[in-house]
Amino acid sequence: MTSHVDEGSQAVWQQLFSDSQTLSALMPEFVMLMGIIALIVVPNLGKAMIRLPLTKIRIPWFFGGQRFKTTSDPRIPAIISIATLLIATILALASLMGNATRWILYSGESTEMIVLLKVDGFARVFEILFFGALMLAAVATVSRMPASKPSKNLSVKALINNRRQVDFHILLLMSGLGMAIVALAQDLFMLFLGLELASLAIYVLVAFHKESKAGTEGGVKYFIVGATASAIGLYGMSLLYIWHGNLQISSHVFSADSGVIVIQGLDRAFENADSLAYIALGMMLVGFGFKVSAVPFHFAAPDAYSGASSPIAGVLATASKAMGFIGLMRVLLLISLPEGDGSAAWLICLATLSVITMTWGNLAALGSDNPKRMLAYSSVAHAGYMMAALTAVGAWRWGHISAPEEAATWVVTAIMFHLVVLVTFKLGAFLVLALLELDGGASRSGSLSGLARRDPVIAASMFIFMMALAGVPPLAGFMSKFMLIAGIVNVAAGDAGSLMSSGGITAFWDLHWVWWLALAVFINSAISLFYYLRIGVIMFFEEAESDRRKPLPRAWFLRLAIWSCALGTFAFGVAGDHLIILCNNAAESFFALS
Amino acid sequence: MEASELAILIPVLPILAMPVILFLGQLFNGNAKWKGFWKEGGTIATAVMAIVFLLSLWLIVGHVSAFSEGNGDDVVTDVGNWVSYQLFTEHGDMKVQELGFGMQLDHVSVMLLFVASFLCLLICIFSLGYMNTDEVNENRNHRFYGEFVLFCAGMFGMVLADNFLWLFIFWEIMGLCSYLLIGFYYERPSASYAAKKAFLTTRVGDIFLFVGLLIMHAEFGSWDFAVVFNAANIGAADAGLIKAMLLLMFIGAVGKSAQFPLHVWLPDAMEGPTPVSALIHAATMVNAGLYLVARMFPFFAAPAMAGELGDVALLIAMIGGITAFMAAAIAFVQKDIKKVLAYSTMSQLAYIFTGLGAALWFVNNGHDELAFFAFGASMFHLFNHAMAKGMLFMASGSVIHEMHHAHHHLEQSEDGHDEDDDHHFDAQDMDNMGGLASRMPITAIAMAAGSASIIGIPLIGGFWSKEGIVGSAWKAVMYDGGGLFIIPAILVLLTAGMTGFYMSRMWFMTFAGKPKTEVAANVEETTPFIPIPLVTLTFMTLGGILFAGLNFAGWLGENSTHLSLSHAPSHLWHEITHAFLALGSDGQMDPFILIITWTTILLSMVIGPFYAMSLYGGKLAKGQKAHWSIAWIITLSGRIHSTYKFDNSIWAESGLSTALRNRLYFDQWYDSLMLKIVVPFSYAAAWFDRRIIDGVIKGIETGSQEASRNIRSLTTGSARDYIMMAALGTLALFLLIWGVA
Repeated sequence: MTSHVDEGSQAVWQQLFSDSQTLSALMPEFVMLMGIIALIVVPNLGKAMIRLPLTKIRIPWFFGGQRFKTTSDPRIPAIISIATLLIATILALASLMGNATRWILYSGESTEMIVLLKVDGFARVFEILFFGALMLAAVATVSRMPASKPSKNLSVKALINNRRQVDFHILLLMSGLGMAIVALAQDLFMLFLGLELASLAIYVLVAFHKESKAGTEGGVKYFIVGATASAIGLYGMSLLYIWHGNLQISSHVFSADSGVIVIQGLDRAFENADSLAYIALGMMLVGFGFKVSAVPFHFAAPDAYSGASSPIAGVLATASKAMGFIGLMRVLLLISLPEGDGSAAWLICLATLSVITMTWGNLAALGSDNPKRMLAYSSVAHAGYMMAALTAVGAWRWGHISAPEEAATWVVTAIMFHLVVLVTFKLGAFLVLALLELDGGASRSGSLSGLARRDPVIAASMFIFMMALAGVPPLAGFMSKFMLIAGIVNVAAGDAGSLMSSGGITAFWDLHWVWWLALAVFINSAISLFYYLRIGVIMFFEEAESDRRKPLPRAWFLRLAIWSCALGTFAFGVAGDHLIILCNNAAESFFALS
Repeated sequence: MEASELAILIPVLPILAMPVILFLGQLFNGNAKWKGFWKEGGTIATAVMAIVFLLSLWLIVGHVSAFSEGNGDDVVTDVGNWVSYQLFTEHGDMKVQELGFGMQLDHVSVMLLFVASFLCLLICIFSLGYMNTDEVNENRNHRFYGEFVLFCAGMFGMVLADNFLWLFIFWEIMGLCSYLLIGFYYERPSASYAAKKAFLTTRVGDIFLFVGLLIMHAEFGSWDFAVVFNAANIGAADAGLIKAMLLLMFIGAVGKSAQFPLHVWLPDAMEGPTPVSALIHAATMVNAGLYLVARMFPFFAAPAMAGELGDVALLIAMIGGITAFMAAAIAFVQKDIKKVLAYSTMSQLAYIFTGLGAALWFVNNGHDELAFFAFGASMFHLFNHAMAKGMLFMASGSVIHEMHHAHHHLEQSEDGHDEDDDHHFDAQDMDNMGGLASRMPITAIAMAAGSASIIGIPLIGGFWSKEGIVGSAWKAVMYDGGGLFIIPAILVLLTAGMTGFYMSRMWFMTFAGKPKTEVAANVEETTPFIPIPLVTLTFMTLGGILFAGLNFAGWLGENSTHLSLSHAPSHLWHEITHAFLALGSDGQMDPFILIITWTTILLSMVIGPFYAMSLYGGKLAKGQKAHWSIAWIITLSGRIHSTYKFDNSIWAESGLSTALRNRLYFDQWYDSLMLKIVVPFSYAAAWFDRRIIDGVIKGIETGSQEASRNIRSLTTGSARDYIMMAALGTLALFLLIWGVA
């Protein structure tokens, strides 16, 4: 049995690793794998010779020995990783644009078969997000790897060498591969595998500067708390497995040579959910809650962000968070959708979590003096906004609101768009901090002071990022936040038009309660403006510290990354239509075939 | 290519020119070439205005010829969509609405466009002479020209707009530019005060207008003329709301056109440079209100509204009558040459309002023929008044400019001149003038023609339109339910006579008699560019007879009427014999009206100027000779002055005169009203703001900082605690699920 075409949908069914078609469907992932292998091989190439036994003939063997100048160049690992990510991004984009056929990859034979991966618009958009974010991080670390200064004796420069860079970029690509698997996964087990592959790589990346106390400590704390959360999530999954017998996210029916094959997924199973299923669901919520840094599972995040080098912190705040959201969306929106007595359970949990998360994040950010911690808390708040939007979709999935399907699709679109554009301005802000780290640290708000004098372009970029984070038009952050809020309100209003004419709706409190989440997002955005603008005040109105008057280091690659982020922030704000349409198609494919 | 395809350039070109002028002005500030050839942006502005004028000339010629060939139609061009939005309809579904910008070209907008672009061009040329030769304006003329072109763009856009929203937007652009230009000499407290006053007073009207437009949108779901003027749509709308809407819109027009009781800003607006006064008073701003009222015509004409809106029309006419009379009375005592003209503007605009009121009343009561006549007369008066008043302002500007120069000149030549004198000398005060007829012949002739047009001397300019307005007002009295029109009818008739007095007074005080100051004796008419618009407009004003002969008024009233040159003589004769609409409803002459109106007008035309001559006339100084066309007037005035000496001290020293000099205390009343109501309210609001709002915000700030500290103290830095918090969170989740499920 190799492949089947399901005539109803345009999906092609494909046995995993059956033939070359698998390769074409999973091209970007294979490229990532190749990149990792290249990173292992290439920097080890040298003048090694092999001597044929008993002769004096020496045959070049290349592997080992004294390395060539190019292969020992500290920049080569970054270049390999950038090239890999670039090719993977382009391939993902091409498959998103050109290929209407969706691939479903399965394993096992007839009755025991399970669907492992699904290649669709949703997965591809997220892959592009992951690869793009990682690529920006890789570009930022081409010439040197910025970090908080480890100790008095060691300069940052001394830490940069080929070997360390190889390790760094292998881990980076590994986390990218893990994230891609999460995006594709159709089975909770597969999803968990991808999640852990990415997470383990990221734990190491956070603690990558073993010479620095803050980095190591933050990494270890992040690992301990993350491991606990993963354990709880895995426990939830195992409960689900006991309860249902498989971990398929959605149900499938397709015809094969041996007749019709029906896969009973968790989504159908939840029609008759009992308390065991709900407890499992709650545990998974904890697992993913840590990934998106929802309160109260976020505590390790600020430590990790401030301990890690800034590009890695940026990856944590964007790609890693998006990965968590894929999990949340898969589990909360696809699996647990049916109507039932307990149906509102996670809805209320999620709403509570989202309001607490956004408020907590904003309040904590308000008093943070460390810009990295501030951005960490702001990222917590952003997680809250997106969870509020998820709640609205959930309320619709449950039939609490009779809104048209487009309304819900648009909320998912808004979440995706927000996650994508977050890469431009959140990561961009971290990259600016990376530049400051090269200059001697970015752990106090004072390190930003006088930036407008020292480097107006960078200061302006930082200001753009801050404005985008706060959601000021015409930047991308405004557009995405507007879509979030409008989406929630739209869903909450449902078919308010007809209700209004019949006198059913007379005031806001007649709308579904998810409307209040939009209000919470709105109020929190207003609060957040305070600390975002403060960065602007510090940069533009305060005198530079006495030992930091000189111009910033050149670091062209890093600057290139910052500028492309700033450009993206602006471009997606004023001309984000194409991206929004892409996200909308992806959101449609997310709901389809479920 | 059709002219209408290029019509969009008419508002767009000046809008684009504004930033260019301002930017170049900042860039080349002080540059010799920029001052010389480029006139600090004046050249650009003039070029743009010339292009715009040619375009609008093309438009009007095309429009008129299309009509005379019998295939004319209103042209509506859709330019593009601006905003799309959705509305809940009554049936609960969504309706997509679009706010587009389009242009409507019909006889009214084409006429106003022509007036505006023609005068804007002439005023722009005038400014080249007036503004650029005064060192006060040096290095900031680009600001003047930039704001000037934007002002013109506002008027063009407003006239062309095919929906009320864009009309309002351009209306507000004009409001902004009037503020900027009146306050051009912002360093003078009086100028910035006047700018503020003009802006705020018109703003009062604008707010009413906007509320009216919101009602319109609520009723019709659109602002497009095509939708709003549709008789079926009007029929479907609520009559009471339509009435309220029209009243609110009329208040907006009252503010913009400076009618009672929102007239207080207009005299103060004279603080701006004189070209600005000409622009506001003739070409643009004040006509906007008239245009808005003229645009209301279809509401009154709709069959569904027949007989419903009579009182609105009456109110419009009433406001017109009151303003006309009041402004004319105040103009009696003004010493400042520009203030006289300002009140004259107010009074003449009020005529047009009266005429429009009558037109609207007629059409609402089913007398379509009379309505078209009154409407045409009103629009024609707008045309005549704009031409004459534009010229008068420019002529007064010429006088002021030369007076100022002469004064300056004298100052420099006499070293021992009293320093204080400089501050007290007022180049606009007519008491400082006199005998200028010989020194400034072009200006004097232009002003005489303009004044004659405003007075309505038979056969000249305004006469042809004014008689139609007065006649329409009287006519309305004769019809059922129009009895109250007697008030505006009498008022406008009296005003016609009073106009004769104050306009002649102004002319004689300025040009006749002997120079009252040394400065006046040394005035020379030398500034370049200034004579061009004066001469052009003199011919335009005197050519009123040509327009009248073409039945211009009839065409303006009803665009199916042709303009024809061949019937001109017979038409003119008909106009004169049937002046003041002495035609009865049965087609017979109504001798009563014919007699009363002709007599009164002729008498006031004689008595007004005669009285002015006897008080202010006088021969020129020895050796001075005026141009022949005005010399006889001066001679006559001298003779009358010496023969009949009226003692007007009873009037001049009476309380009435003081009251008039104080503009009937309107400003004081408004000020005290402000002091009693607005200022205490402002204090209360300030208190509320400081204590309650700021207090709450400060409270939130300190509270949130406190909360932030507390929250962050939970982040202990120990992984143990983090796990404990996560565990607690998990437990809380379970509790929640258990509680709900």
